[in-house]
Amino acid sequence: MMAETKRKADLKVIILGDYNVGKTSFVCRYIDGTFQTKEPTIGAAFFLKQWGPYNIAVWDTAGDERYTGLSNFYCRNAGAAILAFDMTSVSSFESLWARFIPLLDSALENCIKVVVGMKLDLLDSDRTREITIEEATKFSREINSNIDISHLPKDPYFETSSLKGSNVTEVFEYIFNHCVPLTDAEKRVAGNTGIVDLSKPVNDGAKDKKKCC
Amino acid sequence: MEITFVFVVHYMIEERQSSSGKVVFHNEKLGHKYLALKKPVAQLKAASALNRILVLCDNTLTLLNMFDLEPILSGAKVKGVTCFCLNETPSRGSPFSVEICVALKKKQLQYYTATEDRLIHVKDISLSEPAVSLGVDGSYICVATTSQYCMVNYESGHMQDLFPFDSETSKPLIRRISKEEFLLSGPSALGMFVTSAGISQRPPLQWSENLMGVSYIHPYIIAVNDEFITIHSILDQQQKQAIPFQGGSFIGNFDGKMFVASQKEIYSLVPVAWEKQVQSLLADKRVSEALDLARNANRVGLSKDKFSKVFRRFEQQAAFIEFSQQHFEEARELFKEGQVDVREVLSLYPRLLPSNCNFTRSVPLLHEIADVNQLSRGDETVMKEYRNFLRLYLEEIRGTKDAVGYKQEIDVGLLKLYAEVNSPELVPLIAVDTGCDLKDCVDWLEKYERHHALALLYKVHKENDKALAVWMRLINGDIKDENFLGLDFVAEFLANLSDHELVWKYVDSILVKDAQLGVRVFTERPAKEPPSERLRPEAVIDYLHRFPEAVITYLEHLVFQKKLEKEKYHTHLAVLYLDAVLQLMKENNVKKEHLDIARSKLRHILQMSNLYRVQLILGKVKQTDMYAECAILYGKLEEHDKALRILVHKLKDYGAAETYCLVNSQGKDPSVRKRLFHILLSVYLDPSYEQRDSLVQPAVTLLNSNLSEFDTVKVIQSIPENWSVSLLSQFLMRTARKSMNSCRNIRIERMMSRGENLQVTQNSIEMQRNYVTMNDDRMCAMCNRAFGDTSFVRYPNGVVTHVHCAKNKHVCPVTGKLFSTKQS
Ligand SMILES: Nc1nc2c(ncn2[C@@H]2O[C@H](COP(=O)(O)OP(=O)(O)OP(=O)(O)O)[C@@H](O)[C@H]2O)c(=O)[nH]1
Ligand SMILES: [Mg+2]
Repeated sequence: MMAETKRKADLKVIILGDYNVGKTSFVCRYIDGTFQTKEPTIGAAFFLKQWGPYNIAVWDTAGDERYTGLSNFYCRNAGAAILAFDMTSVSSFESLWARFIPLLDSALENCIKVVVGMKLDLLDSDRTREITIEEATKFSREINSNIDISHLPKDPYFETSSLKGSNVTEVFEYIFNHCVPLTDAEKRVAGNTGIVDLSKPVNDGAKDKKKCC
Repeated sequence: MEITFVFVVHYMIEERQSSSGKVVFHNEKLGHKYLALKKPVAQLKAASALNRILVLCDNTLTLLNMFDLEPILSGAKVKGVTCFCLNETPSRGSPFSVEICVALKKKQLQYYTATEDRLIHVKDISLSEPAVSLGVDGSYICVATTSQYCMVNYESGHMQDLFPFDSETSKPLIRRISKEEFLLSGPSALGMFVTSAGISQRPPLQWSENLMGVSYIHPYIIAVNDEFITIHSILDQQQKQAIPFQGGSFIGNFDGKMFVASQKEIYSLVPVAWEKQVQSLLADKRVSEALDLARNANRVGLSKDKFSKVFRRFEQQAAFIEFSQQHFEEARELFKEGQVDVREVLSLYPRLLPSNCNFTRSVPLLHEIADVNQLSRGDETVMKEYRNFLRLYLEEIRGTKDAVGYKQEIDVGLLKLYAEVNSPELVPLIAVDTGCDLKDCVDWLEKYERHHALALLYKVHKENDKALAVWMRLINGDIKDENFLGLDFVAEFLANLSDHELVWKYVDSILVKDAQLGVRVFTERPAKEPPSERLRPEAVIDYLHRFPEAVITYLEHLVFQKKLEKEKYHTHLAVLYLDAVLQLMKENNVKKEHLDIARSKLRHILQMSNLYRVQLILGKVKQTDMYAECAILYGKLEEHDKALRILVHKLKDYGAAETYCLVNSQGKDPSVRKRLFHILLSVYLDPSYEQRDSLVQPAVTLLNSNLSEFDTVKVIQSIPENWSVSLLSQFLMRTARKSMNSCRNIRIERMMSRGENLQVTQNSIEMQRNYVTMNDDRMCAMCNRAFGDTSFVRYPNGVVTHVHCAKNKHVCPVTGKLFSTKQS
């Protein structure tokens, strides 16, 4: 459920990619731990995630072309971008370059871009892989020339399945560990907390308000 | 050509509450003003602080007097204006002016400060395109140009593009929502939230097409197009309501009053009181929406206290809704957060409240649930879940502040739940600080046959007699309960029971079943129990008569544990031990070790105690062949010769004879030991004993023993003539070595003493050799006065004082130096 939140986020993560590649399913798998078929996203959707002491805002955008203008706006100040494509669709991979990379101009200078192939599970059935690992990996390196990727634990490319739940959490933790790394003590605490309960914004909001006066 | 007549009309609208509670509006026209202009009014805005009205007509912004509607002609006028916006939240507001942002046809914004009669130009901001709509908050201006939205900080001049928007195809709308946050009409009929930082903090809302206007009244966004008024909540961005409304053209929030206009009419939109909204959401069981709304109601019209009361009641209602839907996790949270009276919950479970509890559900009712039977509709599993829920809930709040005042209700409820399922928690619940009363718990426990728990409950309520009666029935097998801990438990209970009348009442049943266990009631009394007449040892011993083993255990307790020094007990115990031995001796086929154990017990008391009547025992023992016991008894009578003869002649136990000497001389003068060994030696050497040859070896062994002690001269005198020296050689050598050793030791001691003596003499001489000159100038080191007579004191360090000034001869009175006490 989406609800009011006026809490300032410490990190903004944006998910971009062509319509129907599975962006919303991907976020829901991470936040709720389930796979449900979703309506196409309208405009954008928003989720808050607690990571140690940090508040992380995850923005899921709509892939439909008519929202391209808005996606640019939603990219503003993003510290990380997930560039999603459907592994069984060449065009969805190509539009990352053509449509979505330019949108990230408004993101933060050191924005990390993680390329994520979706629907890995389909490759097990009759569908064929349209994009090779090498291609995607190469692409993921090229677009991250703004940051020093040699410090990353691996190339910013993942192949995932929201249906099966494979590799989903890994993508987010890869990003969080890069952007807002936790100390050991924070990690221990983080183990206990899960998702922020957005249905209770009032108390926190009130606190924040007090702070700024 | 169309002819337009421009009027500004002044109405007074009064809101009244009709007798039925409905809000009705009464309006009255106060006046009007004809403006000699050819275009319709594009925008009209009141600046109440200045008593002015801002009018935009025919691209000209002018001021009118708010009351008589006369134009202010003093040059307060801006031309070429497409739209304007009042800054309702200026960053540096002055009460005597208002701030206005104006969009010009020529790609420019202007910022003005308006006073009663003037518009003061503050700033120009250039744009790349002409502006078509404006919103202002603080230092920020949100602008819709022909092709996009952007955010401008008019103080710094900083400008940020937001997103593209085609103002040709749909109307750009900008509404301030909260501090530095605007809601904009975006592409694809999206309502976009934008902050002054140029980002979004809420997901967009989905509007319908062709909006004419939008307004905001917390927490709702109200939008009109020509068919509907739609209402979205800012809390979850979802549409909450759509009201059909033809030809809507304008909507506005005027100091909290919503007005909406069609081409012909003006309506007021009266919000349903938030409490009612919440109530109706609850009625639809939309619990989380209802509570979200209540939380975000900004306590409209209520004090903080009042609000939290109202909110708590909503939580309570919500709790019961979740409860009735078996959403137990949510229900539990809400019961706690809403501080629901636990009796409200208990009262849903038939017969779980204590019968003396005259609780009635609060009015107005929080819910319409009759009881959990109604909710579970006979489904056993659901029923079980409900009972399980209650159990967990009660366990959770037990002992917390939510339970204050309801301990009895909670504990009785738990007791009943536990009893039903025979929970292992039942006994701890009763045993530790329980709030369970006897009244209906007794019936309940009987009904579910939790007899042991029942007895414990009696016990907790100090009804020990009843408790014991239940346990007795359990012992006797009249009733059964697997939790009953058996005879041991009851024995222990009696052992700790201070009511001795009850001890006597029930101990018999235990003794009959198990005498050894029963006697523990007497032997394991609490250490701090004061002595009582009813439990006097004599009384107990008399009583235990029927249980001989028990008597022995009890006497052992008195003699060995309590160490009572009473001849009676000691003799009694010795006699009983003896009887037991005699009994065993009489019987055939008695295992040897049994007899050995019995005799060693007897010997132990005979040896250890000095209190029993020796003659009495001896009289009996003498008639048997219990020589070892006999020897001990003679020993007690100091008849050592007799005792040792028995040990040597009858038992031929020479080791025991030697031990006898040691034991009987223990703690006594060393001469006693020597005497005893001499007696033993003389027994060995007794010439009248016919088998004396057989005792030569033990005699030699005794003489050579490390433990024995003798007077050597006496020994040599008593040795028979015919013994060879070699027989005695070891003894003699040892004796010679011993006396040699002591002779040398003494000599060394003597020489050392002499040396010490010499040393002391030398010291003394040296000290006396020093002289002290005494003359008239010599003063006492202490009092600094002259010496009057001939005696004085001199310390080893040369300090000289009066005799009376020398308080301590070991401490120099001047320097405090210590002198060894030995030397002087
Ligand atoms: N087999 C499979 N199907 C998936 C997976 N993820 C998403 N889908 C399906 O792909 C379709 C699109 O999923 P969405 O998550 O709505 O896609 P989206 O990227 O959010 O689409 P837009 O919101 O329109 O941009 C749905 O039918 C999903 O069921 C996956 O991992 N495996
Ligand atoms: Mg989506």
